[in-house]
Amino acid sequence: MFLVCFSPHSPTLKVVLSTLFSVVFRTQENSFQSRWSNENEDPIILELLAQFLQAVGQHELTTADSAHDAIALLDRPDAPHFDCFLLDIQMPGMDGMELSRHIRSQPLYSAAPIIMLTAMSEKRYIDGAFAAGATDYVTKPFDLTELRTRISMAEQLVLGRRPHSGIAFCTSSLLQRSNASDHIDLHAPILLHDIDNVFACTAMENYVAQLSRNALFGSTVFAFALRKPDHYWKSLSGAEFKFLIEDVAEAISDCLSGHQFLMTYAGNGTYVCITESGWRPDIPQLTDAINLHLSRANIMSNCGEELHPRMSAGIAIRLVWKSGDEILNALGRTQTSAEAAAIEYERLKTDFFHVGRSA
Amino acid sequence: MSAQTAQMPGLDRIRTRFVELLQSRKTSIALHALGAWDGKTAKEISTNLEQARAILHQIAGTAGTVGYPLLGEAAQQCEIQIIAYLEGPHAGLANCPPEIIGRINAFVEACNIVASNG
Repeated sequence: MFLVCFSPHSPTLKVVLSTLFSVVFRTQENSFQSRWSNENEDPIILELLAQFLQAVGQHELTTADSAHDAIALLDRPDAPHFDCFLLDIQMPGMDGMELSRHIRSQPLYSAAPIIMLTAMSEKRYIDGAFAAGATDYVTKPFDLTELRTRISMAEQLVLGRRPHSGIAFCTSSLLQRSNASDHIDLHAPILLHDIDNVFACTAMENYVAQLSRNALFGSTVFAFALRKPDHYWKSLSGAEFKFLIEDVAEAISDCLSGHQFLMTYAGNGTYVCITESGWRPDIPQLTDAINLHLSRANIMSNCGEELHPRMSAGIAIRLVWKSGDEILNALGRTQTSAEAAAIEYERLKTDFFHVGRSA
Repeated sequence: MSAQTAQMPGLDRIRTRFVELLQSRKTSIALHALGAWDGKTAKEISTNLEQARAILHQIAGTAGTVGYPLLGEAAQQCEIQIIAYLEGPHAGLANCPPEIIGRINAFVEACNIVASNG
């Protein structure tokens, strides 16, 4: 099990930043200490990682012998701030998934990258890890080039430079055009907490990438889009808008309960879901169930005005026979189709066909 | 093993240490396999297999990265078979499956080859 942390503004490593970190942390006033910590009972893998992290950057390692020791380390009053965690799944006592849930329950680490580094490649472990809050999943024996890429992604997440990828799944161009609304960006993914099977947008991308690597394609991806998201975004405060997004996520999660699924909020009122085990959802029926759930929820704004959020669904795409970028593109297509369906629904409400009277 | 792995400074030292450590690990795995095979109770069998599995898990996680991918795969296959047994319906029986012992035996042989080749 491994942990990673970066402690900004420490002068100790100011003059020994590696090339990598000089680039990555250019905006950090050139004052940065990076610290990686890891734990695993296998001395060889610890040596490997220590050597590797020494090779790719000046990282400080901290190790613990078990999940309980890691928790004790985090709970210490003088504990350093860890920015990233690398966990093995199989550990004596508490396993890595339970530890991941524990880490996520702490507000300080609710958004910290958690990379699972494990020999367990079965889908149930991958699913469990992401459902427990993992951001990424690397199977052992790891390829060091791949691991370097994953760690680099984690670094970018920590630095806030990569809230999500630039693939079709996201709307980076729209991000720049969005107006600030209480610091919530309409088109930015929002990390939602304490909702079953919901995780970060980046984690969803890594999850489907993991599926492609393991040729596990018995999954279907689909999306729901909030109708008139810009209306809610403009009329509500940032906090209210986030509450609304959470309420809708809970409604979708409740309607999907009983099925194996994972979901993320991808921004612009859009929720992307992936189901597994061959279950293919009846999208119209599911959309009706979600809207019924929302209508019964009596969602209110802070000033007591009842909101009436309703959802539209896009196409459902089976991931069978897809691989690599095709899978990520499928996520993007479902998101786009759901947004289009929401816009079309609103358009049809006012797009009357004027027919003159005839004799 | 990727080019970056091969070029990583210090890897030769780690590989040597892996092979050295493999000797004691191999012996421990063999002893636990024998303990499971001779076990009189289900608990004795499952405890020995679990301890063998834990060591195999470590080898499976690192062997490929330090340059022994086949050994790593063999360790992982042993681990998977043990897990399947321990989580299966026959785990409560005082009867150690010979297939597991056979697979572990083949793995120990593979360890011997790695050790003899350095």
